[in-house]
Amino acid sequence: MANTLRLYLTCIRNTLEAAMCLQNFPCQEVERHNKPEVELKTSPELLLNPVLICRNEAEKCLIETSINSLRISLKVKQADELENILTKKFLRFLSMRAEAFQVLRRKPVQGYDISFLITNYHYEDMQKHKLIDFIVQFMEDIDKEISELKMSVNTRGRLVATEFLKQFI
Amino acid sequence: MACFERASPALKDILLKLYRAEKPMEIDHHLYEFGSVQYHIQSSASDPHHTYLSISTPLLSQGALLSDRLSHATIEMIKGVGSNAVDIVEPAKEGYHLTLRLNFSKIPRDKDSVQVITQISAVQAVIISSQLKEMLQNVNSQVTLHGMHKPIKLVYHPREPFFVIRQPQKIIAVFPMRFKENSDVIIATAFFQELMDVGSSQEWAKAPPCIWSPIPPPELRGETFEDLSTNGGFVSFDIYSRHVEGERLDKTVWSLLNFYAYVKSHVKCTRGFVQRRMRKRLESLVKVLQKVSSEEELEEEEEEEKFGKDKDVGCNYMRKLVSLSNSKILKRRHGVLSRKIKRIRFRIKIHGFGRFRRRWLRFPKFSSSMGYTKLD
Repeated sequence: MANTLRLYLTCIRNTLEAAMCLQNFPCQEVERHNKPEVELKTSPELLLNPVLICRNEAEKCLIETSINSLRISLKVKQADELENILTKKFLRFLSMRAEAFQVLRRKPVQGYDISFLITNYHYEDMQKHKLIDFIVQFMEDIDKEISELKMSVNTRGRLVATEFLKQFI
Repeated sequence: MACFERASPALKDILLKLYRAEKPMEIDHHLYEFGSVQYHIQSSASDPHHTYLSISTPLLSQGALLSDRLSHATIEMIKGVGSNAVDIVEPAKEGYHLTLRLNFSKIPRDKDSVQVITQISAVQAVIISSQLKEMLQNVNSQVTLHGMHKPIKLVYHPREPFFVIRQPQKIIAVFPMRFKENSDVIIATAFFQELMDVGSSQEWAKAPPCIWSPIPPPELRGETFEDLSTNGGFVSFDIYSRHVEGERLDKTVWSLLNFYAYVKSHVKCTRGFVQRRMRKRLESLVKVLQKVSSEEELEEEEEEEKFGKDKDVGCNYMRKLVSLSNSKILKRRHGVLSRKIKRIRFRIKIHGFGRFRRRWLRFPKFSSSMGYTKLD
């Protein structure tokens, strides 16, 4: 299990290293505007082919690149209903506080749980390899956090059930 | 949690204060507690021996019949509370189900006094438990009753009815669970599964067996659609005679009556726990990004310092090579400054204006004490 995760993350890292070549590019359609082309998708010549990396049916990563921006969308594994609600709650919580992360998108792309938008400005302010490290670390941390949350909820339920049944004895 | 205690903590505090008071006190308190319970405590200096306690509580009603009076069995149980110190006042005060006259002088002044006052503070629990106690006390009764296996619907809180079904060797208590949000349903379902797992283990064999199912149990067939439509499934407890022997009867009854409140409290606490955990994780994730940014800033500063030192060395070397007096340096700076000002002031060039300016717009020279001007 750990091996497949390693391979999946390595594949994403290599793809990001190849795809993250961003430069400033003013908008071709509106004067004095500078927009992330990956969001608009009005000029096909400015877009690269999107890359979809699937670990399994439930987990996948979509990397869409353009000349001045890069969008990474993640679908996190959800084994059961409890993981499903915990993932939704947690990722929605993070998305609502996207300004703290700078590169996080407020609303995920349809069909995915969370999305990042990296523009050329972020690319200038931050180092490329550190940015990629952050994204990969974020993915690992999310998985770990959701597993821990699920275990904590089940442990709490067990303790409360024990306390309830003690009253009958 | 205060709402799961049999004795009301606020009422107990007030009664203890009255009991321990050296002088008679004037008190007129209204207390409102979880579960629509109201208390009214009155004590006056003119009647120092007696305190009046009125109680209003939602009564356990059976099916569609709403009960607003206490049954005979309930009144008998209340008479057993507080020994001689408690008398029931008939009729009860308006708006209340029961009024008690308390005589603190009849409570013995020893260790048991606190226990007696705790029993008096738990009168509300006695009222609501009495009906269910009566049912559970007849678990092993051989008397066949009309409609023995028909479920009895009991309503303590509105919209939270539960069913009690009598069987030959046991009584089954069935709780239809309903929640407002989908996430509550999932958290509660995880809790019910843990409850089933813990209850079925060897060390908890003495506790009543617990079963959760998403569909209504077969014993509830024939009940109305409204009662059987739930989103949280059905939780059933099998109560045997060993669970209602002696002191266990009180505990069993109280646990069953507060089951809904217990589950809802657990769901709410779990949601709060998840929220706190997420907030803590957010801080740690943001710190990673801030660390990345600060590492880059540190690297930039290091680079600046490195090149900055070299620049200083170069400048010092150059300064040593070119030695200038202070007055010459000042003159050079003045010249640069005055040229800048002229450029700003005279941006617009007019042909011939320079000659005009030099002839007619000269600044007058002022005489100084250092030199002298030649007079014509």
